Amino acid sequence: MILFLLLCLVAPAAAQRFSHRGFFETRSFLYPQTVPNDRAHFVGEALLRWEASYKLTAGWQLNGAFDGRTDTHHQVERDFRLDWQDRTLQQPALSARRFSAAWHRGRFSAEFGKQFIRWGKADILNPTDRFAPRDYINVASNDFLGVLGARVIYEGDKDSLDLVAVPRFTPARTPLLDQRWVAVPEPLSQVPLHDLGARFPGRAQFGVRWNRTLPTVEYALVFFDGFHYLPLIEARPVIDPVAIEIQRYYPQLRLYGGDIAVPLRWFTVKAEAAWFGSKTSTADEYCLYVIQLERTAGEWFFIGGYSGEAVTLRRNTLDFAPDRGLARAFLGRAGYTIDPRRSFAVETVVRQDGDGLLVKGEYSQQYGRHWRITASFHWIAGELTDFLGQYRRNSFGLITLRYSF
Amino acid sequence: MLVTLAACALAQDPRQIVQEAQRRAYAKSQRYEGNLKVIGASERVTEKRWQYDRIGSFGDSKTVLRFIDPPEVKGVALLVINYKNRASDQWMWTPALQRERRIALQDRSTRFFGTDFSFEDLEEREAEHFDFRLLGEEKLDGHDCWKLESRPRPTRTSQYTRSHLWIRKDVHAYVRVDAFQKDTLFRRILYRDLQELEGIWTARQIEVFDAKRNSRTVLKLDKVDYNIAVKEEDFTLQALRRGL
Repeated sequence: MILFLLLCLVAPAAAQRFSHRGFFETRSFLYPQTVPNDRAHFVGEALLRWEASYKLTAGWQLNGAFDGRTDTHHQVERDFRLDWQDRTLQQPALSARRFSAAWHRGRFSAEFGKQFIRWGKADILNPTDRFAPRDYINVASNDFLGVLGARVIYEGDKDSLDLVAVPRFTPARTPLLDQRWVAVPEPLSQVPLHDLGARFPGRAQFGVRWNRTLPTVEYALVFFDGFHYLPLIEARPVIDPVAIEIQRYYPQLRLYGGDIAVPLRWFTVKAEAAWFGSKTSTADEYCLYVIQLERTAGEWFFIGGYSGEAVTLRRNTLDFAPDRGLARAFLGRAGYTIDPRRSFAVETVVRQDGDGLLVKGEYSQQYGRHWRITASFHWIAGELTDFLGQYRRNSFGLITLRYSF
Repeated sequence: MLVTLAACALAQDPRQIVQEAQRRAYAKSQRYEGNLKVIGASERVTEKRWQYDRIGSFGDSKTVLRFIDPPEVKGVALLVINYKNRASDQWMWTPALQRERRIALQDRSTRFFGTDFSFEDLEEREAEHFDFRLLGEEKLDGHDCWKLESRPRPTRTSQYTRSHLWIRKDVHAYVRVDAFQKDTLFRRILYRDLQELEGIWTARQIEVFDAKRNSRTVLKLDKVDYNIAVKEEDFTLQALRRGL
């Protein structure tokens, strides 16, 4: 809040050092089918996002980003308090998305506070992206959340070293139990689900990434010690009255991984892999990997690849794991820029056993300097036992109208 | 007299003509704000604005291009690190993704963010990587020019098979480049409104014509400054991430 006020106050006083941008966006979801726990066909959302930075000195800079949002479906809280923790079940109506102080000198830079940290090179799945929880209120249309921590980077000519410490855990936001992105089987649809909240880990998380950039190859190694931001789920039946109590908890995670990008004559090969080990007795241990080819040709871009999973220790726990849900799948994305204002893109995810399918199509057009309208559809099909297939009644159309400023 | 004759003889060496043009454009650093008008085949105009910062000598420099308008693309940035002995490294930063993306060599022929510049056009081309041939002399806009042909050497990857360069004889400044793929004109770059700023002949307007798409981009240079105080640390991936 203090940072917010500071950024607002300094804006007119020091235009040279102050920079900002933002947008107001409305999103209209149309679901042709209902599901047992959600009868809504239409969901409307509105989001105001403002991002600002202010250069205090040659070496120091303040960054802030703030969201204000509301919706028609009670995915967003109705309290008007400023949230900075991103731990609530619903999305906060007002939130500090980012607030940090950044410093740089020579080859060193650092950032302290709530920030975005993105690791990995692949586009279709990032197993090494450990400090980037997402908001999965809508599983098929999600956004990144910031994490509260400290990051120090050394950047040499070829090598860079990235050290991160996150004292306070930020979980991914999971879908709401009474809404369609929690797929409840028909026989259980009459049983009330009681959300008992989450048990958050107390200790800090650490990560280190070393990256080397050479003319013909770029690669990185990653180590992470902390907790998975995607939860395991404890479900307890209650007899009187009949209900199921649900609580989320976050398994300890030690991860070793790496990524590589090799530009070849006709396309670039990118690969990323990580082994997820855990001391939590109920958590699986597994390796997630992805290999993709990408190419830009004229106005087209193409990305295609395979994401795989190898389970080294299976414990059959109930979980919410979109990352593993997109593994063992073939993924493809293609886009075409019609002209500087218009573009379209298609994306497909097919599970290798054929049990899940997602097809996305999107057309986007800019009007004037500020407006953009995007029309898209998500078609989901498959078996109830599959991560994607469980959402087969959640296919939707989406119209997004954005005013950027 | 002998000195003059020697200078004239040297000036007829096409490589030396190009090197002299590069030498005369030398500055320790440069900054300008570029106003871009992209005029498509249907004459529809899209406007963008970027800030350009550059440090280092020709062919061994670092450049950051950062969009400042329209609001939708504000903060999108490109870092180009030029090397004398190999192709440049290029990274593009997209704030919405909070990630930088390395532009692969084979993708450099694509257009840069909806303009008619390709990624390759934004890197500096050291004369050592090209073979030159003097094609003759022509008058362009009332000025005597050398007309040269350049072909990339096998060590150099380029979307262009060859280019024709027009360099003004009086000030050794580029006024036109026609770039070909085999025998087809692919891109034409016109350097207009040449002005001497701090001893450097500078085109205040650069027009790029994409013959394949019948589209052109007019770049007007505002607030041009040379030899300003900039730091190496502002031309890194970290710096790319810092800016809005």
